[in-house]
Amino acid sequence: MQMRPENRRPASRQPGNRRRGALAAVAAGAVVALGLAACGSSGPAKVSASTKQTIVFAESGLGTEGAQTQKAITAFEAANPKITVKIDVLSSDSTTYLSQLEHSFIAGSPTPDIFESDVTYPAKFAQAGWVKNLSSLNPNMSQFFPTEVAAGTFNGSPYAVPWFDNPEGLFYRTDLVKSPPTSPAQVVSDAQAAMKADKSLKEGLAFEGAKYEGAITAFLTVDSAFGGKLDPQNVDTPGNTAALAWLHDAVYKNHIAPTAVTGWQEGQVQSEFSSGHAAFAINYPFVEAIPAAQEGPGVAGHIGYIPFPAGPGGTPGSALGGEMLAINAKTAHAAAAWKLIEYLTSAPVEAARAEATGDPPSLPSAYTSVLYAKAPYFKNVKVLNGFSQPRPVSPNYLQVSTDLQVMLSEVFANTKSPAAAIKAAAPTIKSDASATPSG
Amino acid sequence: MATQAPPSRRRVALRWKSRPPGRTQSGRAGGGRTRGDRRLGYLLVAPVVILLLLVTAYPLVYNLWNSFHFVNLSFGGLPHKFVGAQNYTKMFTSPLWLAALERTLAFTVASVVFDTAVALGLALMLHRRFRGRGFLRAAILVPWAVPTVVSAMLWKTMFDPRAGFVDYFLGAVHPGWASLTWLNASVWRSWAVIFIADAWKNVPFVAIILLAGLQVIPTDIYEAARIDGATSLAAFRRLTLPLLKPALMVALIFRTLQALLIFDVIFIMTGGGPGNATETLSFLNYQTFINNLDFGYGGAISVMLVVLALIAAAVIVRLFRPAAET
Repeated sequence: MQMRPENRRPASRQPGNRRRGALAAVAAGAVVALGLAACGSSGPAKVSASTKQTIVFAESGLGTEGAQTQKAITAFEAANPKITVKIDVLSSDSTTYLSQLEHSFIAGSPTPDIFESDVTYPAKFAQAGWVKNLSSLNPNMSQFFPTEVAAGTFNGSPYAVPWFDNPEGLFYRTDLVKSPPTSPAQVVSDAQAAMKADKSLKEGLAFEGAKYEGAITAFLTVDSAFGGKLDPQNVDTPGNTAALAWLHDAVYKNHIAPTAVTGWQEGQVQSEFSSGHAAFAINYPFVEAIPAAQEGPGVAGHIGYIPFPAGPGGTPGSALGGEMLAINAKTAHAAAAWKLIEYLTSAPVEAARAEATGDPPSLPSAYTSVLYAKAPYFKNVKVLNGFSQPRPVSPNYLQVSTDLQVMLSEVFANTKSPAAAIKAAAPTIKSDASATPSG
Repeated sequence: MATQAPPSRRRVALRWKSRPPGRTQSGRAGGGRTRGDRRLGYLLVAPVVILLLLVTAYPLVYNLWNSFHFVNLSFGGLPHKFVGAQNYTKMFTSPLWLAALERTLAFTVASVVFDTAVALGLALMLHRRFRGRGFLRAAILVPWAVPTVVSAMLWKTMFDPRAGFVDYFLGAVHPGWASLTWLNASVWRSWAVIFIADAWKNVPFVAIILLAGLQVIPTDIYEAARIDGATSLAAFRRLTLPLLKPALMVALIFRTLQALLIFDVIFIMTGGGPGNATETLSFLNYQTFINNLDFGYGGAISVMLVVLALIAAAVIVRLFRPAAET
């Protein structure tokens, strides 16, 4: 084929090749951009609290809790004009919330600078090196309820500060149960009597029996009443077996709880009790903070809240729940974050939160006559705080929790007897609790 | 039976004969491109290739590497120590893994057989001419278009003993069947609900693939078979099923892999319970990665899942290979 004259021009100057050249430049640019995007950047230097800065606070509060946090943050910013707090609302589902936090930490992110932590997280986060050891900030931990302080302590050092302290206990309808039960057996007989007397009741007792973390706190609430103790090194004890048998029998022998508890989390339990379907419920204090207008007939003004009554050889039972505040180990804004923690955990701010949301203060000093005048049930909450037992404080708690959930779920579904389930689970729980990198 | 192609096909064949596909009019194949063209081509695909390498190849290789190391992020500061096949040994001797494998395989076989049989019936029905066929074809895709998490939540609500329509319906049929707790109170009832929710979501997908396969089968062969005296059943066995093989193979591969990797329905509905009676390999993998942050052991479980998926796909391809290739 004979070549036309224009084809003899330099290749780069041909119109088609110029277009190709431009495309090639764009493609090369995209390659470079991708390469740059893959590169990380080094972290900033530490910033003092007096410097103008923005810190990120990750929390899971929605509704009134979220609004109250925002209100407290606004007041904090007014008092500390150089610090701006950006609230990062993560999932209200605790499993998703934990994953979101872990993803940030695994990625080595310096944010969130400060975050809300469940009482079971600090040991794990501390072992992984994700949270700041607060010893250098000299926190006054003796001002808080000691069980929650213990939940935030790892290898003798504080890693999280108690924010609010949720003791799980036994709710009962004072119009149906005239005096608070004084033994586990009386809970059963009172529930049966109430179901007989009031046909509108759907069950005598509601509790969290779904396969999730809440089932463990429900069990723990009952556990010490039978002399049990949730020690991962020795779960197979007569006390633990008796406590689990009591919950099992509540469904399958005494018929005061339905099999539907196998799907119930604290929300469903609260709903059953508040709507007037249950005479008793094992749950967190927020049940008492439900507005009367949202409660079923006969419930408003008729709520009692006590530690689970002790049986022979036991002590009144309550499980520690609640939230803590901790600082990201990678943050450059630790000083400002600590200032915010000090503010949020001060007695007036905790009391204001308690009044607005029902979140029980983590400071005994916040339980004042002023608070009781506005919300009398906090008297009961403070009593329960004296009995509340923490879940095992272990960096491997999530593995232990998984084992416990399987064990409880088998018993609540009646696929294993309480004794058999505990016997089978005990070695796994012990091994998971003591697992070390060397195996 | 006559096998001569219709005239229009013969024309296409003749055109191909004179100029095979893939060759230019001038007779040059792809090899005739200039070096500049090739360089431009490479540069143009480079961003996509790099992106794919980053998001697919890198995680796969990294996961394989992890599976031979101690990588537990709960022990953040520790080095990633090489442990050889230790994670694999742990997995093959773990009663939890073996039980999860058993459940996963049993669920896969049951759901693939059931879904394919129902989907085939549905596809055959939708292949027939009837009023409202177009609407029905679009409507059956709705479950497939609903995200699995949403459909699992919907089914969980429907089986709720207090609020679900299933309880209401069963109670209306027989009072003794009311107030049944389906999820987490009984092993077989939990599996039944998982199975129903999973089938509701996936049968339409298989049906649509099979329907597409049915539509490319020429109708004249059925006419010829009918003239030859073949019954409907014989035509289905001798014509439809063999000619549907390619579509069946695709549907089975997709469905088998989905079933092998089932996670979200179980996560939403039972959380693996009661006990760990509904825990599958993917669920165990999730717990190992997310709960325990054990990327070494989790990596080994993932690698085995990939191996299982590849074996399943290879078996299906082998079973459905056209006779000429075997």
